[in-house]
Parts: sequence; structure tokens; C-alpha cells
Amino acid sequence: MSARPVAERDARPPTATVVASFLAAGIAALAALVAAPVGGAVVGLAGAGFIAGSVRRSPRTLSRAAGTGAVGIALAGALGGAAETLLVSGVALVLAWDLADHGISLGEQVGRASRTRRNAAVHAGTTLLVGALSAGIVYGVYLAAAGSQPVAALALLLFGAVALASALT
Amino acid sequence: MNDHPLRQVRREVETGRWDGVVGVALALIGVGVVARQPPLVLVGAVGVGYALHARLGEAPEATLDVTRTVNDASPDPGDEVTVTVRAHNAGDAILPDLRLVDGVPPGLEVVDGPARLATALAPGATATFEYAVRASRGEHRWEPLQAVARDAAGSRERTTAIESASPTRIVCTPELAAGGDLPLRGLTTTYHGRTPTAVGGSGVEFHATREYRRGDPATRIDWNRRARTGELSTLELREERAATVVLLVDARESAYVAPEPDAETAVEASVGAAGQAFTALLGGGDRVGIATLGPLDCWLPPGAGSVHAARGRETLATDPALAPTPSDERFYRSLWFRRFRRRLPADAQVLFFTPLVDDAAASLARRIDAHGHLVTVLSPDATATATTGNRLVRFERRARLRELRSAGIRAVEWGGERGGQESGERDGQGSGEREGQGDAESFAVAVATATGRWSR
Repeated sequence: MSARPVAERDARPPTATVVASFLAAGIAALAALVAAPVGGAVVGLAGAGFIAGSVRRSPRTLSRAAGTGAVGIALAGALGGAAETLLVSGVALVLAWDLADHGISLGEQVGRASRTRRNAAVHAGTTLLVGALSAGIVYGVYLAAAGSQPVAALALLLFGAVALASALT
Repeated sequence: MNDHPLRQVRREVETGRWDGVVGVALALIGVGVVARQPPLVLVGAVGVGYALHARLGEAPEATLDVTRTVNDASPDPGDEVTVTVRAHNAGDAILPDLRLVDGVPPGLEVVDGPARLATALAPGATATFEYAVRASRGEHRWEPLQAVARDAAGSRERTTAIESASPTRIVCTPELAAGGDLPLRGLTTTYHGRTPTAVGGSGVEFHATREYRRGDPATRIDWNRRARTGELSTLELREERAATVVLLVDARESAYVAPEPDAETAVEASVGAAGQAFTALLGGGDRVGIATLGPLDCWLPPGAGSVHAARGRETLATDPALAPTPSDERFYRSLWFRRFRRRLPADAQVLFFTPLVDDAAASLARRIDAHGHLVTVLSPDATATATTGNRLVRFERRARLRELRSAGIRAVEWGGERGGQESGERDGQGSGEREGQGDAESFAVAVATATGRWSR
């Protein structure tokens, strides 16, 4: 006995984004595993967190999982992982989180049954492109100039670049 | 921004989904510096890159031209209507993340595919999506399409309401079902009709005999009696006259109830039954009017004739006061009652269609009755038995019906599920009306059984 409600809409995130997020998390864990096994295990934990967040439709859980993943990468890096594997792992981790979070908002706003492929593909492509560009530039600069510089100099250089970028925007 | 007549920005927010990425990046760089590991600094730098990506860029304006077409603008009830929505990016910016939610009228049910789409649109490109709604009685206007546009990183979003270039609407006018004979009560007009009265005169049914008066027609003289006693006497027959009837439909918010979430509401059932009563009464030569009990005013004065029939059909189908979803306006009972009384012809009787789920409806029926207008309450059963609360409402409704009947007001109920245990506890007056074993009783069957009961 209530006023007529609207038929229930399937507000779960689209399957495609959940699967793609899972794949990206797998790549991140694999790359971190190659860098340092302990770090890889922690990043794998983050992948499980992304799945849990997608199922519970909770962006907060996703953020925590992403934080866990960052800890895993830090661990792998501190244990002396190679730059290439860490960069791949980092970009894949961001992509996994981004897809999961985007999927939740798509599920909320348009639902699982709607057409969302194109939207998700464009979004994932942009995120991947930004990651690849950043990693490419950073890695190129590292190889060309900073290979022999002390780490502190590299970090200072980076801060200078960030300050410049912030001032420009 | 707001200068376009069809587009209106509703909301602009930061989603904050990249919040904290700078912190994580700086932490990674810090760890890298402390542990003297250049690769970590590089990963942190990538994080800074993402932070810049999130900060750059504006929430794009959803510069869309929307056209919406329906394949049938005047469907029959229950028909599926396919709606096609085209959104054309008329601006010169890419919309990398666009979510469209169409403004389906509240009274229509989407039966095929959600009326939503998520896509990305380049300048000049067009996105199309289709869905189907099931038509229901009434006039339905589409509300603006909501477009949620995000920037590429998804950190800002802007919600825009976009009207389609030409307003979309469908009008669904059901054929009024031919109703069975509806028994009316004794209040009638002076016109000849079909409602039997307590007045003797010309007719077909025996009423009384009286002394012969000069001028009485010879056919009505009781010749048997003349032969027996030698006196002249005249047969009085029951006069049949036309009645003035006002069909009053309860359309207050409380009447929009249904036994199940997606079942027909009591208002729909009432309107359907009122349609049957309307055709039946009009066909019988009575004068019929329509009124609603609700916040929106609806009044069709009693009348007769084919123009009136068409007007009544249209009123029942599309009047906003009888819309498939409740109106937001407030309802003032005493004002409504005063207006209703002023309009109601003195010789009118009232057929009151109400689910009787609150005391106000029952007391209103008694009040109209007290003002000298005979009332028949016709109540669709919208109660359920699933929970204790449901059963309580059902019980209360029963009690109200019983009270009305004991106050001398005729009441008919129809529809609803029939539980086995209820039939035993019914009062004697109502026990005759639920004899069939089907799961729901139709209005016509309920009226027919009630007629039998009333004429006993």
C-alpha cells in the first residue's frame, strides 16, 4: 500500500568496466611482482579491494584499495625494483582504480542495462594516454639527464616542474 | 550558458574523485628520496601528471540539440510506444563523458531498455537511443532530458536540463467499456426515465390501486375488481423517471494506492469503473456528471447526449485531476466540499468511487448523504494481506464499509484478492456479494450481485 514506485533499475556498474578494471589490476600486480614479490602481493591485495568496491558500489573502498596499491608500489620501489616495471605497475594501478570508480558512477547514473561501452572506452583511453605520456616524459628525462644525478636533485627538479605547471594553469 | 532557451544548467559540481592523488604522489617521491631509489620518484612524477590532468579542463557545456520522436502519439492503453531520442552535439567542443537520462513522464512505465545512455560525442556527432514505454490512460508530457557532462578526467561535472525542440506528448484515451446496468437510488428528476420511483402513475410495474377518478384511462381500470365488487378502481403503476447522477472519483494522494507496487492504482480502477457507469447511465437516459475529490478542480456538469458522452470520455481519460500519478498541490477539504455542494444539482445523487483507505472518504460519503443527496459508494479493493500492517488497513476498510452500510448508504466493493478466512467473518449484509471463486471480481460482476442483494 504505497504510492506507485518506479520499477527498480539495475544500478550496478557495467560489466565491461568491472572486467577491465580487474585486468588492469592484474597487470599492475604482475608488474610489481616482477619488481619485488612483496610489493606485488600488496598490489594484488589492492586488486581484490577494487573488486570488493565494485561489488559494494563504494568509492571509499576503492580509494582505500588504491592507497594500499600505492603502499605496495612504494614497498617494491624501496626494495629496489626496476623503474620500467614500477612505472607500468603505477599506470595500471591508476587505470584499474579509475575504471572501477567510473563504473560505479555510470551504474548510479545510467545503470548496467544501458549502452555505456563507448563512454567507458573513451574514458579509459584518456586515462591510459595521460599515464603513458607522463611515464614516457619522466622516463625519457630520467634516461637522458638524471641517470647519474643524486635522487634529491631529481626530486627538486620535479618540484620545480610542478611549481611551473601550477603557475601556468 | 543560460542564454539558450531549451537548455538550462541545473548543477555544477566538482566530483573530487582525484582528491588525494597529489598526496600519494608526494608520499611516493618522499619514500624514493629517503630510500634513495630514483624509480619511485619517477612513479611519483606520473602521479603528479595525473593530478595535473585532473586539474586542467573545464566541465564541458552540454551543447546538445535533442529531438524525441514517438512512433504513436495516440496509443491505446497497454500499447508499447517506442521512443527514439537523438542528441546532436551542436557545440564545437568534444564531450568526452556524457550521460543522458530522458525525462519519461511519471505515469508511464519503461518496459524495454532504460531511457538512459552514456557516451562520448565529438562536435557534430549524434547519439541515438531507443526505449519503449507502456501507454496508460491520460495525457503524458515528457520532461526535459537531463544531460550530465564530465570532463575527460571526470573531476568536474555539469548537469543540464535540455528540452527537445518540439514538446513530446502522447494522449491515451481508452474506449469506455460498456457497463452493465447500474441500480440507482430513488432520488430522481421529473423527466421520464428508467429508475423506478415510489410515485404512482403510468409505468409497467404494479404500485397501488385507488378510487376511480373521472378521466382515468380505461386501460388502467381494474376490471376484475369491477366484476367482483361493482366498484370502479384504477391501477397505479410505478412511475419510472430519469435520475441525475454525479460520478465522484476520489483522486486525493491517499487514493493512489495499489495492492502491489506495479499493480493498477485504486484511482485507475475507479476511473475505469466510472467510465462503465458513465456509458451505462447515459445509455439508460439519465443525466450524468463527473467530479473529482482532489486538489485539482474537475467538474463536468450533469448532461445527456452524444456531445456530453464524448466530453465525459475525454474528461475521464485526460483530465489532469485524474492523472495516473498524484498531483503536488495541497488539498483543502472544506473548500472543496463547499464548492462541490454549490455545484451539485439539488436532485442529484452521487456515485462515489473511493478505495476507502482513510476515514475522510467515509465521513465525506455520510456528509453528502446528510445533505440530501443519495450516495452509493463504489470501492475498488486496493488492500493486500502480505504484512500485519496490510491486514490492519484491510480490516479498517472493511469496518468503514460496514459502518457505511449500517448508516443506510449503499456500498459495493470489487477487485482485490480474496482470502479464505475473510469470507467467514463477513457481516450478513455483505455475505452475498462474494460468491464467485475467481481471484479478482470485476466491477460489473460486483454491481450485478449487489443489485440482487439490494432488490431483495
